[in-house]
Amino acid sequence: MAEHTVTFDIADEPVVVPTGTMLAEAARLAGIDIMQPCGGQGRCGRCAVQVTSGSARSRSAQRLSPEAIEQGFVLACQTVVEGDLTVVVPPQEKVERRLTTDRVAAEIAVPVGYDPHSAQTIRRFSLMLSPPDMADQTDDWSRLETALRQEADIPRLRVSLPLLQRVGAILREGEWQVTAVLDTETWDCERCLPRLVDLIPGRVPHTMPLWGAAIDIGTTTVSLWLVDLITGKVEAQVAEYNGQIARGEDVISRIIYAGKSDDNSREMRELVLGTINELFEKACKRVKASPAEVAKVTISGNSTMMHLLLGIPAENIRLSPFVTAVNQIPTLSAGEVGLDINPEATVDCLPGVASYVGADISAGVLSSGTDDTDAITLFIDVGTNGETVLGSREWLVTCACSAGPAFEGAGVRDGMRATVGAIEEVWVNANTFEPTYRVIGGKQPRGICGSGLISLLGELFLTGIIDKGGNFNVDLDTPRVREGEHGGEYVVAWGDGTEHGRDIAITRVDVDNLLRAKAAIYAGFTVLADSVGIPFETIEQMLVGGSFGKYINIEKAVDIGLLPDMPWDHFQFLGNTSIKGAYLALLDKRSRRRIRDIATRMTYIELSADNTFYDAFMSALFLPHTDLSRFPSVSEAMTTKG
Amino acid sequence: MAVEIPKDTWTGEVHAVTLGAIEADGGTRTKTVTVGGEKTLPFMHFEGETPNAPVVAVEIKDRRPDDWSPLLEEAWGSAMDDPAAWAKAAEEAGADLIQLSLSLTGSDGNPTTPQAAVDAVKAVLGATGLPLLVFGPGQADLDNELLVPVAEATKGERLVLGLCEDKNYRTIAATAMANDHLVIARTAMDVNLAKQLNILISDMGLPLERILMDPTTGALGYGIEYGYSVMERLRMAALQGDAMTQLPMIVTIGIETWKTKEGKVGDGVPEAWGDWKERAINWETLTAVTLIESAADIVVLRHPESVKRVKAAVTDLMTV
Repeated sequence: MAEHTVTFDIADEPVVVPTGTMLAEAARLAGIDIMQPCGGQGRCGRCAVQVTSGSARSRSAQRLSPEAIEQGFVLACQTVVEGDLTVVVPPQEKVERRLTTDRVAAEIAVPVGYDPHSAQTIRRFSLMLSPPDMADQTDDWSRLETALRQEADIPRLRVSLPLLQRVGAILREGEWQVTAVLDTETWDCERCLPRLVDLIPGRVPHTMPLWGAAIDIGTTTVSLWLVDLITGKVEAQVAEYNGQIARGEDVISRIIYAGKSDDNSREMRELVLGTINELFEKACKRVKASPAEVAKVTISGNSTMMHLLLGIPAENIRLSPFVTAVNQIPTLSAGEVGLDINPEATVDCLPGVASYVGADISAGVLSSGTDDTDAITLFIDVGTNGETVLGSREWLVTCACSAGPAFEGAGVRDGMRATVGAIEEVWVNANTFEPTYRVIGGKQPRGICGSGLISLLGELFLTGIIDKGGNFNVDLDTPRVREGEHGGEYVVAWGDGTEHGRDIAITRVDVDNLLRAKAAIYAGFTVLADSVGIPFETIEQMLVGGSFGKYINIEKAVDIGLLPDMPWDHFQFLGNTSIKGAYLALLDKRSRRRIRDIATRMTYIELSADNTFYDAFMSALFLPHTDLSRFPSVSEAMTTKG
Repeated sequence: MAVEIPKDTWTGEVHAVTLGAIEADGGTRTKTVTVGGEKTLPFMHFEGETPNAPVVAVEIKDRRPDDWSPLLEEAWGSAMDDPAAWAKAAEEAGADLIQLSLSLTGSDGNPTTPQAAVDAVKAVLGATGLPLLVFGPGQADLDNELLVPVAEATKGERLVLGLCEDKNYRTIAATAMANDHLVIARTAMDVNLAKQLNILISDMGLPLERILMDPTTGALGYGIEYGYSVMERLRMAALQGDAMTQLPMIVTIGIETWKTKEGKVGDGVPEAWGDWKERAINWETLTAVTLIESAADIVVLRHPESVKRVKAAVTDLMTV
């Protein structure tokens, strides 16, 4: 048999191997350890190498993009040597970036051409007032207004009594030099007089940040971005579980709890305010600012969260015919809402569409651009409530279903938010059932976040550790699959390798929760698409939002039947679209108007009106789906595996 | 003018499933029973073939049950003390199949042992030549503990082992596969759940020709409409070509109707309810005939009089 010389760039010397040797084997002979987390099955794509010269034959290049293949990339575990070769072994992180299945959430970029003068409603002016004397006994307030008229052409102002009480002292403290922060217009009163939000003694340099915040109140996770309104840049991002979780995991149980008594309603309000105020503390500390400097806040969140935050009874959201108390909430101030920031700060709660399609979705449509494209677009927000929007520039329909908190890492034994210490991706070797995983921050793991759970569920399914119904196959020859307290479980990390010293495992109960979550989301958008008669094949792009990690492995999400089986290039992962929408609305009054238009334009489809959703849900409550013909690529992967 | 009856054309058909094996095929049965094979909705003889009539299984227990209606005790008498005698009596009452339900405990109050289960099954097999269905007591762990030795001790008989459920199907399906038996896949009144369990079991390698499905039902007045509708939808899906629904259906009507107040209670009920015995038998018969109309292939009954009436109804319905 013919022999060939294979030269690896990082090996000490070339190796000679016979025709038909697997490239991975040649690498091993050359003393190179090429990662093969999937066990050399061509499933994970982590063993990609670049053949720069010579002849090799690949039986699968499933993971590689056309550009990568063009450049000579092959999977070492799927490629046999057929001639002399020169091979470049790229560093691991470069490999991961080349994979076609991973979608990383887009970076937060300041909107192109952001100009605070034209876009921002919050303005800051440094003013030099002439001090009073016996010849000029003009009152303090008029003196301030005069200075503003001269400086900014703003003739008159509104002000609250508490701030008015302090005006005289501030002017004198600054020795008649002050910096005024104004809110020049609000969406619900474009012709109102500007309102004085803050008055600071002395001159604040133009380069000093002017703080605003975008907040997303999720049922499970609350996120806050601290933004410099002058530059538009997000200077701090913080998130924490919503303090209300202790009183119910889903919106319905929260509504019931809050509705029991005034005390409960107050408690729910205080719990979420507590979470938000802690986040303000944390974010402000990070940029060495004080929460009292925050002048404007936009808040996104589902309708229930918005009601509970404001102490507005939410009972009718739960009861037929399911109406909110208010969808478009008037502009409020931080003091009346209960935020521990400048009490005069403007609080803008973004508008919702219906009881179960809230501001988070209006904001998500804005930030995803679903309302501004010619392509038929399906936008889904994978969260505790799975909301879906289908449409384009011409039309938008939406629906919502309850998915539960599993994809945000809650309601799963070893689940956690996507922060340092979370396992965010897992591969399982199909022969040994041993896992390989990646941890956010690279340290020892503490738990598994949403993207890790999606990836893990997909791997357990494809390697046969769980069956299509989610039952563990406890007869497998591996200590990792064992009988736990509630049925089978799979150990991802043994206690001696975890931060807390306990095993990290996924249990039967976790699998059931994840199955229900993915089934609800899948059923939601299938019913929505059916209701407007749009077959999946005609959907041109699929935008995925959610706060389960900084990226999603599209293939795994398709494998488990969370996302429909479409070409991978149709998918874009946008991260938390709700807070991005809040951020855009915070920066630009035109974006704020667009959200209002979106909220009024969307047609809401009620899923509880008939049995269709339940049937679709039960049918999706399987891996990947009871009707396998909907998932041709998964069915192919299963055949290949067998 | 002649009336032309419109006909549906169906692309799918139900698998024919044969219960029991005669000596030549490795069993000891004197006859086998084949169910399924329908090419049309129930009794639409003008439209398509119904090669096998629905059949009646009679439920017996491995010992005298503690909670059966006095009406049933009156009907079966002392045969209830001996599974072999009971099986014989059931055969004489017209049963096509015998369904032996293993008890949770023996008469001494201790859990039924594998040996006792095997003995009871062998006794029944010895007493009747009809094909046999064996049900565990209905608790996953004990079901597995009893049905595996039963399956091994009767290898080749093509018994029907019940019940596989979504959280507990592997052990029973595996032992059925290893010992040439059949299984029942029971799910809770839902088309998708039924399909899913069929997929899971066939994924293990058990051919569809060896699976019966039990979509669960309620008695007349206790949710029968829901059961009826699910069975009807399953059968339509089967005829439309959905492979994972093309299995014959079995429903356990006896246990459902004999726990209703109408079947169970003789005293203190409105006079208008009429004679207790007649009412109880009607309840079982009506439930059975209704579900046969919705595509049941096997109905499991308890009272000998119901057996007679249901079989008469089936004969009528099968007459073209």
